[in-house]
This record gives sequence, C-alpha cells and structure tokens, in this order.
Amino acid sequence: MDIGKIKEYSDLAHDLALTKKNALEKCRANQIFAYNGKLFKADAETINLVSTLKSYSETFTILDTNQNPCQIENPDNFLEILIQKNQESLNAYRKLLEQLKRR
Amino acid sequence: MTKGVLLYCFDTDEVKYHRFLIKCVRQIETFLKLPITVVTNSETHNFVKHLDVGFRIIENRKGNTRYYRGKNISWHNLERVNALSHSPYDQTILMDIDYFCFSDNLLKYLDTDYDFLVHDKVLDITGKNVILGTNESVLPIVWATVIIFRKCERTERIFALVKHIQQNYEHYRNLYRIRHRNYRNDFAFAVALHQMNGMIPVENFIPAPMFMLPHEYDVLDIDDSGLMFRYDKRVGYLQGIDVHLLDKEFVNGR
Repeated sequence: MDIGKIKEYSDLAHDLALTKKNALEKCRANQIFAYNGKLFKADAETINLVSTLKSYSETFTILDTNQNPCQIENPDNFLEILIQKNQESLNAYRKLLEQLKRR
Repeated sequence: MTKGVLLYCFDTDEVKYHRFLIKCVRQIETFLKLPITVVTNSETHNFVKHLDVGFRIIENRKGNTRYYRGKNISWHNLERVNALSHSPYDQTILMDIDYFCFSDNLLKYLDTDYDFLVHDKVLDITGKNVILGTNESVLPIVWATVIIFRKCERTERIFALVKHIQQNYEHYRNLYRIRHRNYRNDFAFAVALHQMNGMIPVENFIPAPMFMLPHEYDVLDIDDSGLMFRYDKRVGYLQGIDVHLLDKEFVNGR
C-alpha cells in the first residue's frame, strides 16, 4: 500500500469535507427569511410544524428563531415561502455536492 | 423609512484600510444596493473621495492596538460607539470594511421588528476553529462586525451604555474578566447588551453564524462572487456568502 497515495486521498477528503461543511452552513443561512417582522428558518422542522398547524386552524402562533411569537394570518402563503426557500437552498447545496463528486 | 450602510475607515501606519473600503463598497453596491455613508478622517478621505458614497469627515481618536500576526498594530476602532449619531439613516447596517458581501442576506434583517441585531456565533471557514479562545471572558461574546439597528429609544440606550463602557473599559474588563487588554467593540457591545437585558443572557441575534477567515490565513484571490484562501498548505473556496476577512495584506496584492 502506497502511504503517499493514502495521504493524498486523506487530504482530498479533508478538503471535500470542509467545502461540504461550509456549503451546508451557507445553505442554512440562505434558509432564513423575515416574515411579519420576525425571523424564520425554512427548515424541515418549521415546514412540518406549519403544515401540521395549518390543517387544524386558519391562523396560529409560532415562535421565530429568537423564540419570539408571531401570528401567522395566512398559513398558505407562509408555507409556500417556507417550501420555496427550503428548496432553493437545498437545490443549490445538492448541485454543489454533485460538482464535488465529479472532481 | 430610510435605510443605508454605515462604514468606518481610517488608514493606519500598518494597514491601508482605504483599499478595503473600495472593495467593500463595490460589494455593497452589487449585492445590497443601499446608500452608503463612510465616516473617515481627512487623510484617508484623500484616497477614496472618488467613491459614490456620502462622507462624514471626523478627527478620529487613536491609541488602541490589536495583535496581528505576531505584532501589535494600530487599531482605530474607537469611533464606532458614535454610529447612532453618525448614521443619517433610520435603519442602518453598520459593518466593518473587512466584511465583504457576496450575497444580499443582510437585507432581510431590515425587514423585521428587531431594532438591534448582531451575530453571536461565528463560523471559521478553515474548519480550524481558532477564532474563539477559551475563557476569554465570563460573558458570551457578540460580534460587533455587523450591527443592524433602527433609531429608537432602546438603541439610544444601548449606544449610550457602550460609550460609558468604552470610557470605563478597564473597570468592565475586570468585572467581566475579559482577557484581552485592548479595547474591543465586541466585548463592549456584549457587556452593554448583557446589562441592558438585566444581566440575563440576551436572546435576540442574527440567527446565522458570521463566516470568518482568521488572521493567520491568507486570501489568495477575491472577485465579485467569492474568494480563494490558503490555510496551512491547503486551498479553500467560498462563494455566494458574506465573509469577514482578517487577513490585512491581500489588498496590497500578493
């Protein structure tokens, strides 16, 4: 076994892991948006929460990223924004990972 | 309601900060598209008067220093406490000129009810996590690199308190056991927010970490969309996300 080759592979794996980590953080940063004066993250948890609450009530209150309450008057519109932001950021992340795989 | 960006720029003997300003302004024009006001002194203004920004010329206080790559260099960071009166805008994004926008992410924070936002988390883009030391103080640090504020009574109180802390910094440094001997706005704002919040940890922050390249590592190349940096013997890339660069030499060309 050529140790030099293994080291080279390890270095490349490190670079890829760092690029992936930074890209994931960028993806998460891009999921943040302002709505009704508060800040939300378009992640799976928020989407699931809103989707669930929407099926029970036409308006409801949820907490923003800083634990401040926000009344959601138009759940359909809010969920649409959440999904759009979520998919925009995740698609960009997926494309970057696909590029990395080809390297 | 008027919105804009406020920048402070003072050249020192060691660092030609006006070169950062030129790059920083270009990035803001590209991504944020907001009016810009630069607070500077007459010496530095001579190098940047061609920029399409508003200027406020002051005689800045000097005397502070910072550690940078094995030596202490001048650090003209004492005027930031006057940002509330220096800003002509109702809503202001106050940022360091070594913070470069590669996205419009900061704009969203202007569309909120929050009257004062800063980062409380940082992401070392080299993965080395060398930015935060251990036991730097007994209160969690906040980052004064980017401050988004609205002119209101609460913000007036915060800035008044930061001024008071700056004037009595040795006392507050001892009180909060801040290890750094020089004056740092990060800690001054952290102390002010802690005191303003009734000594209870503050909760309202920018919910994303601030991307940062530590001063130990070099920027190899930078364009309008991102940067290439060297850490140890490796090269990293970052695109489409705002980043705070502590390397003070890349603007001179490598």
